[in-house]
Amino acid sequence: MLYVLQQLGYVTRQRLTKLGRGTFFLLHVLTGISDILRRPELLIRQLYSVGVLTFLIITVSGLFVGMVLGLQGYYVLSDFGAEETLGVMVATSLVRELGPVVSALLFAGRADSALTAEIGLMKATEQLSGMEMMAVDPVKRIIAPRFFAGFFSMPLLAALFSMIGVLGGQMVGVGLLGVDDGAFWSQMQAKLDFSDDILNGIIKSTVFGFVASWIALFEGYDAVPTSEGVSRATTRTVVNSAFATLGLDFILTALMFGDD
Amino acid sequence: MYSAAQTDNTVSIQNLSFSRGDRKIFDDISMQFARGKITAIMGPSGTGKTTLLKLIGGQLCPEQGCIVVDGENVHQLRLADLYDLRKRMGMLFQSGALLTDMSVYDNVAFPLREHTRLTESLIRTLVLMKLQSVGLRGARDLMPNELSGGMARRVALARAIALDPMMIMYDEPFTGQDPISLGVLVKLIKTLNSTLHLTSIVVSHDVQETAAIADYIYLISDGKVVGQGTPEQISRSESGWVRQFMRGDADGPVRFHYTDDDYLEDLFHTEEQ
Ligand SMILES: Nc1ncnc2c1ncn2[C@@H]1O[C@H](COP(=O)(O)OP(=O)(O)OP(=O)(O)O)[C@@H](O)[C@H]1O
Ligand SMILES: [Mg+2]
Repeated sequence: MLYVLQQLGYVTRQRLTKLGRGTFFLLHVLTGISDILRRPELLIRQLYSVGVLTFLIITVSGLFVGMVLGLQGYYVLSDFGAEETLGVMVATSLVRELGPVVSALLFAGRADSALTAEIGLMKATEQLSGMEMMAVDPVKRIIAPRFFAGFFSMPLLAALFSMIGVLGGQMVGVGLLGVDDGAFWSQMQAKLDFSDDILNGIIKSTVFGFVASWIALFEGYDAVPTSEGVSRATTRTVVNSAFATLGLDFILTALMFGDD
Repeated sequence: MYSAAQTDNTVSIQNLSFSRGDRKIFDDISMQFARGKITAIMGPSGTGKTTLLKLIGGQLCPEQGCIVVDGENVHQLRLADLYDLRKRMGMLFQSGALLTDMSVYDNVAFPLREHTRLTESLIRTLVLMKLQSVGLRGARDLMPNELSGGMARRVALARAIALDPMMIMYDEPFTGQDPISLGVLVKLIKTLNSTLHLTSIVVSHDVQETAAIADYIYLISDGKVVGQGTPEQISRSESGWVRQFMRGDADGPVRFHYTDDDYLEDLFHTEEQ
């Protein structure tokens, strides 16, 4: 019993110290914005490897998710003779939920895990301390550009996901199942609200991008500098950013769509 | 606080203590590194030579005592000042610590691009000069993973001297070098020291090479300075420890093993389990 309590206290304390370190780390990263403004090419290079290289998986997944939504939505809606509203259903679910959430989960698997492994290996091979000794702050030079790249690309990727998804839904709904094309688009246009749906979706994915990049980079920076340590940190990144995304999604949804 | 006699030391370590976990790596040691001279640190593997360099560079914090580099107490500086100080220190890491996603050329150019506003053509001249001095001008387009261990270390050396620092810390520069590059490196360290009046700190196990270029030698073991002096003084030392280490005898007061609990007892322990 005492042992359990002891362990509980120990684990809690460890988590809290880690959170504290993570917060200081985040503040340090945020001060790196001045360096990025001075040297935007650092950010652009990372936007390419963090954002652009994630394009393909986002596009393909978006297309399939949209197509599946088109199918499922059609089966349900046609029971009520409401297949005209397929466009609304596909677009709302994509823009509000699936776009931000699924692209954040894919992003965690594709980009965040790579970031953690990269930073962790740089630490293990003393590249980060080497940089410190050359009077270059690795947090500003290496980590901040990656952080902001993740932060900026996440909403764009989520938007891309939703857009492709809508096209996928339209392909299946209109092309395959014969929903009226005009009704599909005009219903969607009429029902989708900019601030309620689109803006909230953007806010969600911005938050997800912020948190996921923070987790990924901190896990890498804080990794035990061995091959096992780096592999564990990578796993933790994927698991934790998935949990964080889903948990935050619930909270944000409750806050945003709660009272109407 | 520091008397005038101490100001001609680039680095001065006073009553330093440092532990890793329960293991005391340094126990109240003091050392001086004279400006413009080559000072060598020697000692058995695992005594904390690399740790000492990291303490001087401000990457680790001592438990007690202080380290003064060029008149500034390293561990009381603000981060920005510490980075300013580090621009004047070069460090050759034991592992090389090259940036693996850049070519050899870009690695050597890295500190120049970060800290100066030189034009690319000037940077090119400087980089080629530094690479030439370590004999690797032809390897400039290789990536770090295409280098041998010895080559990587020489690239790291070229990078460490790229900013023309006032002091350089070499962590085992001679390991993994063939006799020719070893000779070149020994000469290079000597030349850098005499022409640029660098303060050099050399950590090395190569007794002969180090004794040949060092102006002063510290021998450390078990967290203490066990011998110090000019190479002549060291070679004439009466201490059994110093004699054994410098000659490399297997028997004597120097411990070869990490801990000294009884070997037989340790073997019996496994049987009990
Ligand atoms: N990150 C670390 N965590 C815990 N202990 C460490 C760490 N790094 C080094 N040590 C311990 O500190 C001691 C000194 O290590 P250090 O690397 O300074 O030795 P060294 O004198 O440079 O040895 P070598 O000549 O083999 O390079 C060793 O006993 C090692 O076990
Ligand atoms: Mg060492």
